[in-house]
Amino acid sequence: MGDWRTEVFAGFVGAILVIPQGITYAYLAGLQPEYGLYCAIFVTLFSSILGTSSMMSGPNTAVAILIGVAVLPLAGRGSPVYIDFVFLLCMMVGLIQLLFWLLRGARIFQYLSPAAISGISAGAGFLIIMASLDSILDLSTFRTTFFYEKLYVIISDATDLVNPYSLVIGISTILGGYIGRRYSARYYIIIAVCTGYLCGLLVAFIWPQPLTELEYLGRMPLQWLPFSIPSVNIEYLMTSIKLVPYAFTIAFIGLAQSLVIVRELKMETDQDIDLDKEVYAQGLANFLAPFFSSFVGSGSFNRTKANRSLGATTPFSGIAAAGFVLILITFLGPVLTYMPMAAMAGTLFIVGADMIKWSDVKHYAQVRSELVIYLATFISIIFFGLATGIVIAVFLSVSVFLLRISQLELSVENKDSGTLLKVKGALFYASVAHLTEKFQSHFGENLTVDLQYTTHIDQSAVDFFIRESSNMAAQGAKLTLLINDQQRRFLKKLGISSDIELISL
Amino acid sequence: MKINHLLICGSLLLLLAPTLSHAQQNQPSIEQLLVEPFLDDYYSNVVYGYEIITDTQKHASRYVGNSLDCSNCHLQAGTQKEALPLNVAGMYPKWRAKNGKRNGIGLRIRECFLYSLDGIMPPEDAPEVLAIAAYITYLSQGEVMGAEPEGRGVPTLPATGYDPNPANGRSVYLEQCSSCHGEQGEGIEEMPAVWGLDSYNKGAGMNGIREAAGFIWANMPFGNGKSLSQQQALDVSAYLNLQYRPADPRDSKFLKLLEDLFN
Ligand code: HEC
Ligand code: HEC
Repeated sequence: MGDWRTEVFAGFVGAILVIPQGITYAYLAGLQPEYGLYCAIFVTLFSSILGTSSMMSGPNTAVAILIGVAVLPLAGRGSPVYIDFVFLLCMMVGLIQLLFWLLRGARIFQYLSPAAISGISAGAGFLIIMASLDSILDLSTFRTTFFYEKLYVIISDATDLVNPYSLVIGISTILGGYIGRRYSARYYIIIAVCTGYLCGLLVAFIWPQPLTELEYLGRMPLQWLPFSIPSVNIEYLMTSIKLVPYAFTIAFIGLAQSLVIVRELKMETDQDIDLDKEVYAQGLANFLAPFFSSFVGSGSFNRTKANRSLGATTPFSGIAAAGFVLILITFLGPVLTYMPMAAMAGTLFIVGADMIKWSDVKHYAQVRSELVIYLATFISIIFFGLATGIVIAVFLSVSVFLLRISQLELSVENKDSGTLLKVKGALFYASVAHLTEKFQSHFGENLTVDLQYTTHIDQSAVDFFIRESSNMAAQGAKLTLLINDQQRRFLKKLGISSDIELISL
Repeated sequence: MKINHLLICGSLLLLLAPTLSHAQQNQPSIEQLLVEPFLDDYYSNVVYGYEIITDTQKHASRYVGNSLDCSNCHLQAGTQKEALPLNVAGMYPKWRAKNGKRNGIGLRIRECFLYSLDGIMPPEDAPEVLAIAAYITYLSQGEVMGAEPEGRGVPTLPATGYDPNPANGRSVYLEQCSSCHGEQGEGIEEMPAVWGLDSYNKGAGMNGIREAAGFIWANMPFGNGKSLSQQQALDVSAYLNLQYRPADPRDSKFLKLLEDLFN
């Protein structure tokens, strides 16, 4: 146990990283900043205690955006009813994730292609950048449907709309971040926040708030144990039906991200990780979250990465991180009061820009289907929103997957006894069509079909063989199948016709 | 049998109809709303707004810099005449000299946070601001749009012929006010502070001698309004005006520093 110091230090860094994220993600979710901090404490704590890996959980961009998308149409941002709806949504998410665990559903996330995940992440990055513009330019009461309308209005009405003070703070934050990254790849977000904060102090020192109209974070009424009981009410239930599809999307996206992270950890470190247990940990942590005034979270790519590079290998680092968040905000609270929202938004901008990776585009450009998934996901997200984009991503991944497995590898050899057809792949209703063509082009000849490399045969394939063999018999040709024992048993069970000769290998 | 039932139900509905439409016109009282919160966005915001006005420290602490609540000045949660009542939604938007702009009710609310509560100006779309605006709309139900409601603001005291005298004001304060507001203006027990760092700042409307005099004459000592003479009210108000309190947030700290450096 000489390692506990490493874990504690990693937890400390994780805490510093998560504070600005928690605050900004709370903003994306339409909630007051303290809810993001509670999320950074309690979701992190519970999923680390219950989980098996050194993954850092907590507030997550995509999840936060989706909460906002789901609940903003139902109630005014941040109002008590809004918060009730958010908590209700969070409970649903937790329950759905626990259901996933009961059904041992972790496996289905393997079908979400990496290109789709990168596309979702890039799309979310774009949405974050657009959301951050609101605060950087101080466009508080301003709504458009499509991003280009927003850009158009901003550009055509810049002098009226844009708050120059806010813009200066935002830009200095972003510059601070990018310059800071040259010197410290790990702490540049902190450097960005500090630059923005200092710039904000300077602006406030020279120009008074009634003139600048800058938005500040304000005092945070933080409690050590912010118990809350989500109110579930008949009248709520009627409206909350609308939340169900979002609950599924959030549950899915949260787990998808967490499991991608955990799988990576499992492959690249020698941690003893149980995927199902991680699903359980996420689900229970998210279910408990609303009872501690927190919204749901999921695994975080960036914090887990930092955590790993500091050498943490156990869930203890996550527990330590939760503790440090609590300690840090207790002391930082008064300082954070005068944090300009533009500085927070500047860091959001950097986070968003980081999620759109040019290297991803180049990577996926090599395979056409991957590129299509990536771009279709990205484009549908920036035009139709995250939820639609995710549905499209899942649909495309599954289609590509199905297309791929319905492909058969066929090789034809001409033997004296007739034609030998070797079939590689799964032989089922979707792939039988490929065989039909080959059968037609060799119609009237004796055919031998080698099935030893066929991974799966279904009823429709057997029906196909029976049909073809009787056609061929009418032409005086013969169908022979080379099969293994298991396939023989299966064919026997389905009652194979006597026209077909079966040869066991 | 069934038809009978239907008939009975139908006639009951007909009987109820006038009362139903009546109930719709008369909005529920705050007490009703509080015990059985309406889930309707508007009424839930009204309740939230009411809670902020009466307990600003708890429900809108994010933007508050001193220890006052809105209802310390807007008495009875903004329902008392001549004590800055809040049934004024029909008066906005309106041009104001204070910032030389047309002001919506939202800006007015945000300014009371900045000056009277010596805090931070909340953003226009902050949930707190929207909720207070809903509450103000709720209170203004039945007022004529654009017409000044009766008892708006505080009474304007007529010229008394004498200048307000802070020295007299001090003795009035020690006699009449310090039992509640404290000798140092800090507010004893649950009473609000009238000066010092926990009170309104120098930019607040209450820091205007005439405005405060009107408020004090009509409402103070608490529960015994209009017992001071108008001259006493002006004097005590001038005394309060001279006391130490947070700086006007409209002043640039930078210019102030330059001034200090040159003097
Ligand atoms: C220190 C006393 C004080 C406190 C506390 C205070 N106000 Fe005021 N408020 C005033 C005064 C004085 C005026 C009228 C003078 C002016 O216009 O500046 C006023 C005016 C207003 C008006 C406009 C009323 C009208 O007649 O047009 C609104 C709205 C308002 N306040 C809202 C609030 C809200 C909301 C809060 C709490 C966040 C609050 N006030 C707290 C003193 C106060
Ligand atoms: C019986 C105790 C009492 C006395 C005596 C009293 N006040 Fe007050 N005063 C209050 C209370 C209570 C409030 C807040 C009202 C509320 O919250 O409903 C208040 C509010 C005020 C306010 C506005 C809020 C603030 O803190 O700025 C001023 C100004 C004020 N009083 C001035 C005076 C002056 C001047 C006198 C003397 C003439 C005086 N009061 C005497 C109890 C008192």
